[in-house]
Amino acid sequence: MLQHIVPASGLLFTLQNILWINIGVFIGAVFAAIPGLTVILCVILFLPVTYSMSAIPGMMFLLGIYCAGGYGGSVSAILINTPGTPHAAATMLDGHPLSKQGRTKAALKIALYASTFGGIFSALALLFLGPQVAKFAAQLGTPECFMVCVFGLTIIAGVSGKSMIRGIIAACLGLLISCIGSDPMTSYDRFTFGVGRLYLGLDLAVCLIGLFALVEIVGRAEKKPDELHMDTSKMRDNGVITKDEYKRMARPTILGSLIGVIVGIIPGTGASEASWFSYSQARNLSKHPEEFGHGSVEGVAASESANNAVTGATLIPLLTLGIPGDGTVAIMLSALMINGLNPGLSLFTTQGDIMYAIMLGLILVNVFMLLQGKVLTPIFAKVVSIPQEILTPIIVIFCFAGAYSVNKNYFDVAVALVFCVLAWLLRKLDMPPVPILLGLVLGKMTETNFRRALLISNGNPSVFFSSVYCWIFVGLIVLAVGTILRGKLREKKPQAAPAAKEE
Amino acid sequence: MKKQTFRRICLLLSLVMVMSCALSTTAFAAGETWTVTCPWAPDGVASLVSQKAASLSTEYSDDITLVAEAIKGDAATVNTWVLDNEAGDTGLVFVGEGLLSITATMDPAKMQFGYEDFAFVENLYSSVFVLSADAKLEINGIEDLKAFVEGAEEITVATNGATGSEAFLAAALFGSMGAGDALKLVPYQSAAEAAQAVSRGETDFAVSHQSQILETYNQGGVTVVCAFDEGPIENGPFAGVEGVGEYGYPYFRNRCFIMARAGTDEEKVAELKALYDDILADEEVVEWLHDTMLLEVDTMDVEAVEEHIANVKGIVEEYIDIVQPA
Amino acid sequence: MKDKLDTLGAKLARKEMRIPVDLTVGVLFFLLGGVVLLIMPQQVAVSERDVVNGRAFPTLLMGLMMFCSALLVGKEIYKIAKKKPLEYKTVNLLVEVKALIILAILVVSYLLALWTDLFVVGAVFCALAFLIYFRCKKPGYYIITVGMAVGIWAAFRFLLNVRF
Repeated sequence: MLQHIVPASGLLFTLQNILWINIGVFIGAVFAAIPGLTVILCVILFLPVTYSMSAIPGMMFLLGIYCAGGYGGSVSAILINTPGTPHAAATMLDGHPLSKQGRTKAALKIALYASTFGGIFSALALLFLGPQVAKFAAQLGTPECFMVCVFGLTIIAGVSGKSMIRGIIAACLGLLISCIGSDPMTSYDRFTFGVGRLYLGLDLAVCLIGLFALVEIVGRAEKKPDELHMDTSKMRDNGVITKDEYKRMARPTILGSLIGVIVGIIPGTGASEASWFSYSQARNLSKHPEEFGHGSVEGVAASESANNAVTGATLIPLLTLGIPGDGTVAIMLSALMINGLNPGLSLFTTQGDIMYAIMLGLILVNVFMLLQGKVLTPIFAKVVSIPQEILTPIIVIFCFAGAYSVNKNYFDVAVALVFCVLAWLLRKLDMPPVPILLGLVLGKMTETNFRRALLISNGNPSVFFSSVYCWIFVGLIVLAVGTILRGKLREKKPQAAPAAKEE
Repeated sequence: MKKQTFRRICLLLSLVMVMSCALSTTAFAAGETWTVTCPWAPDGVASLVSQKAASLSTEYSDDITLVAEAIKGDAATVNTWVLDNEAGDTGLVFVGEGLLSITATMDPAKMQFGYEDFAFVENLYSSVFVLSADAKLEINGIEDLKAFVEGAEEITVATNGATGSEAFLAAALFGSMGAGDALKLVPYQSAAEAAQAVSRGETDFAVSHQSQILETYNQGGVTVVCAFDEGPIENGPFAGVEGVGEYGYPYFRNRCFIMARAGTDEEKVAELKALYDDILADEEVVEWLHDTMLLEVDTMDVEAVEEHIANVKGIVEEYIDIVQPA
Repeated sequence: MKDKLDTLGAKLARKEMRIPVDLTVGVLFFLLGGVVLLIMPQQVAVSERDVVNGRAFPTLLMGLMMFCSALLVGKEIYKIAKKKPLEYKTVNLLVEVKALIILAILVVSYLLALWTDLFVVGAVFCALAFLIYFRCKKPGYYIITVGMAVGIWAAFRFLLNVRF
């Protein structure tokens, strides 16, 4: 490795590369901050720019978009309670309440610092442990992936609000919606009602626009005119994060980064899953679980560190095995292959300098993300003071444009509207929307791995306990369920105590 | 809102627009822009080749700029394309045997188009699929495969998708070997996932493009058993691997036809064909297709296209019961 | 006009409806689960050779949904029998009417964009409709918002090559 570092640094530290990193970081952060515009869409739209570039600047530009997009999604989640990208949904749960408390700048800073830490952590994992981690990831088969999904579904308990039963019902609804479209195991249509465009299934980003962004717009109806304007002058938002808060951020950030790396190396999973896993674990392990959902700095740090730690981790299977870790990285693969680089371990021998330049570049991308983020944070924070008369239609226009851009079709805009109506009705019934989102995120992966595992084993369920990794996940699931039950009992105790006193 | 704040936000937005404008100028040069829609995964072979072709279009034409676009969705994407494009529109789309032969036979209701809705421009490439086996099985050629099939009660094959070209090639090979009943197709979400599945022994075999199995092969996880072609592979890392055609088993190559909307001016179609032919004759492209993508340049005429579609249709009709039993 | 609307608003604001949340959720989702199970044979084709077919997962989900819904209904019936208070959610008519208006703005914006095949038409309508909804009287806001609507469309159309 060391023999490649010096020539790789020489290839990386050029004015052209630094410039492209910064352009990528800026575009990624701003794009992802706009509801409806996802990182993957941004990479697709800007991919043609890299056609005329060589491998390193092309990858640096795309990595800039990818990493900064991880952070950018949190901006709108914090500012306007609408996640810019699906993976920022967990950040919204605590980021926006923090902003409402007049701590917008602090929330944005926490997200930025946690994102940077997660990003650099995963970049280092890629640099030093890439091949070893990839070998571990390659051993995770279909049954193990199913167990990861089941582990993911335990999060529902933590995001169900007042009633876990209602949360489970909402999750079932999300999982059912994920079944719409072509059956991945047989190609038969399911629940398409003869609508050709439903054959593709529903895009997560489009559903998210309806479930969170548009319903938030309709939710303006619940506010009185004087509640619509946030009096920022009274808030004195100095953006200070206290020492105590830094201390509280440390554990969830480190744990989140670790979770992000583990989730990122498993092909098929992504930043959304990582941020929810991390958020859930942070809540389970926190000394102040009651603060979660009400502006917990730990919640923001956990989800943001995890979703950015995915960025380096998804590159591990890509660069070492040629397997893209998620959809965005799959598109970034083009920038390498168009330049004649077929990713894999052999490339570390034949084109080691380029490979190490890319890996070192990922660290650089995160450093520039931090620097740009520090400059942009005060500007982003001003969004909360834009009058609602201007901000509301602009959010809607961005949402519609984003939904249309996913498949270049108005059908997706209609789908977003349908989800908006659904979310509004569910809000009237106090049904939490987050379990629906979780169902949508995990649905296809859960079902496919469940059925494929049983197909391989001819229907024998012992396949789910066939490896040591399966048992590790079983242990984690038991641990997660145990922690949830303990938490629920803890929540009930203080309620029972005053009741006993009254008697 | 303070004026200063508003100015800052305007400045930020202007900066984004100026940067986007500058980037777009580099990406989309002047001239007539033809959007080439690939209805498969943006990281798939077809999309990558399309992007490569698009990146060179301005070098070979002052009038036509190709813009590659990938909207995963197979028949649904092509349905939309046919609905949205009329004769003379500046749009091109990819169709292959998967749509014109497989979907058209298995699920015609899913398609709101037929071959007659298109005007053939050119074939982008020709790909020879390979059958790889779990290295532990030590199957290194067709003779080994025959021996394995004879003693096997169950044969599992990982494929990309449930009813794609890969699934039908597996069905045709094992079906013609008399092992159709023992064959179990295990669909994965991508070719990369299928390659990994076979290397860790989750399935016995996998069918994939050569480039998609190369890294797993290099790492010793799989052996490459045979190629779905008439004769052995001639070039690249798999040179010498036997073709199933040598043993009389059915096969077809994977092809990717670039189509304009039917009724588009014939001169324009000829101009587009000439552009693609120039790009595909470019030495850099030929080398890239051979060395990186492990594909072949294979320009075709309409008769050859129709012959290919009919050949694949024949195989689909014969082995449909193995892939999708009633 | 403004006074009339305010009077109407005040009238509507006084009208409220209380929904027994858990009971409603239980009944609604139990029925939804039943309907999905009922239409499953028409909507999901299966093959006899499938080890686990395409109906298995949705059936499992609907089973769980119906079980949870039945639990909610059972819990509420028990509360009624024991004369314990049910959990209610209050729905205000004014809020719902305002929500419907916002939803109408969204739908009309979408339809205008669809019918004209020009996104900018829907975008400009959306900008103006929301300004009117918020009873905005500042001409500057109209100029800024409409300008932004056109700007966003132009950025997507000409810079990002999204044709709409």
